[in-house]
Amino acid sequence: MKKLRLYYEEHNKGPLKLLWKHFAPQHFAFFGLVLLIILLSLAVLTPFLTPHDPYLQNSQLLLVPPSWQDSGLVSYPLGTDDLGRDLMSRLMLGASYTFGLAILAVLGSLLVGLVLGALSGMSKGVKSSIFNHLLDLALTIPSLLLAIVIVAVLGPGLLNTIWAIMLALLPQFIHGVRNAIAQQLKQDYVTAYRLDGANQRQLLFSVILPNTWEQLVLMGTMALSTAVLDIAALGFLGIGAQSPTAEWGAMIADSLDSIYLAPWTVALPGLLIFVTVLAVNLVGDGLRVAMKKRREN
Amino acid sequence: MNIYQRLTFVCLTALLTHACQPDRNNPGGTGLVYCVEGSPESFNPQLVTSGTTIDAISQHLYDRLLDINAQTGELLPALASSWQISSDGLSYRFQLRENVAFHHTDYFKPSRPLNAEDVVFTFNRILLPEHPFHQTATEYPYFDSMEWRQLVAEVKAISAYEVEFRLNKPDSSFLSTLATDFAAVLSAEYGAKLQAENKLPDLDHLPVGTGPFLFRHYQKDVLIRYYRHPQHWRQGSNLQQLVIDIVPDSTKRVAKLLTHECDVAPIPRLAELQLLSKRQDFVVDVQTSMNVGYWAFNTQKPPLNNVKVRQALALAVNKQNILQAVYFGQAEQADSLLPPNSWAYQKPQLTQSYDPQKARALLAEAGFAKGFSLDIWAMPVQRLYNPNALKMAELMQADLARIGVKARIVSYEWNTFRRKLTQAEHDSVLIGWSADNADPDNFLRPLLSCAAAVSGSNRANWCDEHFDALLQQAVNTADLNERRSFYLQAQQYQAQQMPLMPIAHSKRFQVRSSNISGVAINPYGGVNFAMAGKH
Amino acid sequence: MILHYLFRRLFLLAFVFVALTVFAFSLSYLFPGDVLSNFTGLRNISPADEVMLTRQLGLDQNYLQQYLLFVQRLLQGDWALSFSSQQNVLTEMLLVMPATLELAAYALFLSLLVGIPLGIVAAVRKDKWLDKLISSLALIGFSVPIFWWALLLIMVFSLSLGWLPTSGRLGVLYEIPTVTGFMLPDILLSEQSYRQQAFIDAIRHMLLPSVVLATYPTTVMIRFTRDSMLDVLEQNYIKTARAKGLTRLQVLYTHGLRNALLPVTRQVGLQFSTLITLAMITEVIFSWPGIGRWLIDSIYQRNFPAIQGGVLLVSSLVILVNMLTEIMHTLFNPLARKF
Repeated sequence: MKKLRLYYEEHNKGPLKLLWKHFAPQHFAFFGLVLLIILLSLAVLTPFLTPHDPYLQNSQLLLVPPSWQDSGLVSYPLGTDDLGRDLMSRLMLGASYTFGLAILAVLGSLLVGLVLGALSGMSKGVKSSIFNHLLDLALTIPSLLLAIVIVAVLGPGLLNTIWAIMLALLPQFIHGVRNAIAQQLKQDYVTAYRLDGANQRQLLFSVILPNTWEQLVLMGTMALSTAVLDIAALGFLGIGAQSPTAEWGAMIADSLDSIYLAPWTVALPGLLIFVTVLAVNLVGDGLRVAMKKRREN
Repeated sequence: MNIYQRLTFVCLTALLTHACQPDRNNPGGTGLVYCVEGSPESFNPQLVTSGTTIDAISQHLYDRLLDINAQTGELLPALASSWQISSDGLSYRFQLRENVAFHHTDYFKPSRPLNAEDVVFTFNRILLPEHPFHQTATEYPYFDSMEWRQLVAEVKAISAYEVEFRLNKPDSSFLSTLATDFAAVLSAEYGAKLQAENKLPDLDHLPVGTGPFLFRHYQKDVLIRYYRHPQHWRQGSNLQQLVIDIVPDSTKRVAKLLTHECDVAPIPRLAELQLLSKRQDFVVDVQTSMNVGYWAFNTQKPPLNNVKVRQALALAVNKQNILQAVYFGQAEQADSLLPPNSWAYQKPQLTQSYDPQKARALLAEAGFAKGFSLDIWAMPVQRLYNPNALKMAELMQADLARIGVKARIVSYEWNTFRRKLTQAEHDSVLIGWSADNADPDNFLRPLLSCAAAVSGSNRANWCDEHFDALLQQAVNTADLNERRSFYLQAQQYQAQQMPLMPIAHSKRFQVRSSNISGVAINPYGGVNFAMAGKH
Repeated sequence: MILHYLFRRLFLLAFVFVALTVFAFSLSYLFPGDVLSNFTGLRNISPADEVMLTRQLGLDQNYLQQYLLFVQRLLQGDWALSFSSQQNVLTEMLLVMPATLELAAYALFLSLLVGIPLGIVAAVRKDKWLDKLISSLALIGFSVPIFWWALLLIMVFSLSLGWLPTSGRLGVLYEIPTVTGFMLPDILLSEQSYRQQAFIDAIRHMLLPSVVLATYPTTVMIRFTRDSMLDVLEQNYIKTARAKGLTRLQVLYTHGLRNALLPVTRQVGLQFSTLITLAMITEVIFSWPGIGRWLIDSIYQRNFPAIQGGVLLVSSLVILVNMLTEIMHTLFNPLARKF
């Protein structure tokens, strides 16, 4: 039975649906999203998927080329590294280190950034001013330099790198959240809600945050590409993940030794980092375009 | 402004037409770039033992009383034109070459050629605590490990061009020691000048010698620049400049060879040898070498003070694997410290082969059935005897896991690494030794004697009276057969006690651009550019 | 008004430096190892020296006193010694700094030279294939891991084609005395007969690292210029100008460019921090003897005084450059003036 309509009802799609409507037709962005989903499932499911043990050395099979070359083996589709470990398994595991940990770092940092940003955005006065200036200071210090300091204090290692990256990302999140909130506070509906008698807390949770989450996601994707690049760069420099950890950057550094004999051991991890970051950026760009279009309509 | 415009124009054309590669290896004369793996620790070979330092300084800056023939191991006259040994073997007399000029540099202008005074000055620095320069160095590691101060009673000038060494006891390896790269001859006149100016440490930083090249400039971790020594006593090289380019990373070293930024490079990296030897523009020189890469156990630390544990660990490691993955088949498996081309080598009866079963049994006997955890220190640098210690450690880590030993790989930056090693903070370490002369004593004494445990080159910190006695008996006799039998006993005792596990004897490789000739490498370390030329 | 603004900036700068020095000071306590060693850079301090140094550094007094003495030493140039070389950290850094600045300057120059025109073209040709091509290239450049990119370029241009050298600032056989620390001026100032060849050689050495380092900032410039230009082109005064009969080019040049490039100047300052970060990686790969490689080496060596000094100097520099561009931007751009 058809529902009875008593009066004319404007058919409004939800904002999320609208966003998707503008996002999906962008082929590149859509492609990026698909890639991201694949990478994400890889990061989570890797332990059950790898064809070989990523850390198992096999001295009989050193530097086997990928299977599309004449001397390659079918059971090692991407060949082996200089200790006879299966490259494909290592690359798959790398997804959970380089990409998976980057996501965790961004989420953690975003959460803390949200709290601090909200505190700073909702407050006024000298305290807030000092806090903001400190933030500006932190924003200008290069993230790698900050990571170096943290690694120097805590010692090299993947976990310490993650702390360093979280800390390095934090200022931009606080900054972003603060700006987003400041923007919201100017809106008329916020004033209206205030006039209704809402207190600061209610204002924050029922009006401001729901209206800023898209911006947060956008910030998150930008930070994610930074985080992936930073984890890999620190691994490459030998102050992040240590060998034999199958982190992509560390894998490149490890394989540099065999770059002449087995260029694929350097090329493939780099390609994966590139593809990951590209996918993240494609999605980020697509989101931004979609949001802009939605606003314009 | 005109000159800048012209320069820009020239640059652009040069950049666009890449064929116009500027003759960058030939600025203002002929020059040669030798790419080495590390910075020298000092500019005085008396103070060091590292092969890297010796390669970078010794043969270029200094001459020795005697030289060694690289092929036969026979001693040749150098600064000493002739020598006599007394019948009791206690006195050695050397007649010096005349008109040997010292380097003329910015910081020192010599007024006289080499004479007996310089030789006395040089060796007394090592021997006499009251020598003005003796205290500026904390140790003379090579001479200390050879127990030179107990051995040499006196060095004195007989005449302006004759020197006598008096020994306390006969020593058949004495002449070989004088021919090593460590026994470089310094200038007494320069010493006097530094003393007068109260700049004693400069003796080891701003070198003055008689060698084919003179010191110009040093920038740590970047380069050493030498100029040709125009008055060198040997007719030699037509090179005006020798630059030692310090490139610690072997991948970069190969890259620089390929782009001809390096003319000559010693490459302990064996992976690319095939690649390079196929190319027309490179020549790979191969030389059998006297070296050994080994895994030393700190025998002072439990549980490594237990012989059975050490034997078990040695049995658990698959050396064949290491030879394949680390040395790319370009090395021989080591069963003894002495390489097979040493005259005292004999395959020990107790050869260790890979046997994890037996290893586990031995561990159980020693009371470690459940295994234990162990640090493996892997040196962060590439050396002839061990081209990639970190990779080796990773391989061993997997091997040891099979007998329940949990290995942790430890590495520090090289200077820190050595400092901590000297303080014996390690459990076990992957390191090695390149011999300085053909004498077997040069392996066993510096690596395993009690004296070396004090001076620091004995990384196992192993001090065993029986072993030391064997070494002493061996040098006390001049009879080769008798010496050989003592060394054989020593090798067997070492194989049984296992203070260290020999892993491999590597060949020595050097790659040079094919337009370079006359570069001599020898089995006892050191590289000589005195005769080198560029076409 | 302007004076008031400058005064406020100056006050902020002072505040920021206090915060930075407090941070650097606390590092000596946070780093592993002996505090006295971390402060002085001396190793194996004898008991007698220890007493003397403790008094000298005020380590027996409260933290405030210690901090004040620390700042005093910083201002006098009496920085800690490097663990590895036992030389004053500041002296060492001033020696390697010019190499980094030189590299960063070339890269920045390159990124402006390439990035701004491409950004303008992309904006003018919005949604045409040229815009799509430029934007895609920018996105690719934005995503590529710099160390991998550097390795690829070395593989192609140095190892396969043999056109360009792989490391250093100048062929080692050229002996150029250091005057300014900047390679090209030094070569022009030198009196060697091979000056001209050396100059060409230096440029060949510079090419790959500059391109690698410029990649990321260039893409940022392209994207930023494009966005900024599009914003401006949508403004009413542009439409008015067009309506008044000016040609596209005239409008673009007299009204569009000036307004669009103002925010770009601000971006130059912000890029400096990124440049320094990326320079560290670039320097390691190309063995460029700058502060980045020096800092990374210090980490390998656990050289704490060097890390402390490096962080202090580099951060100060970045903050100073940022502040300066912000002030310049404010002075030139009436819209940004909110005194």
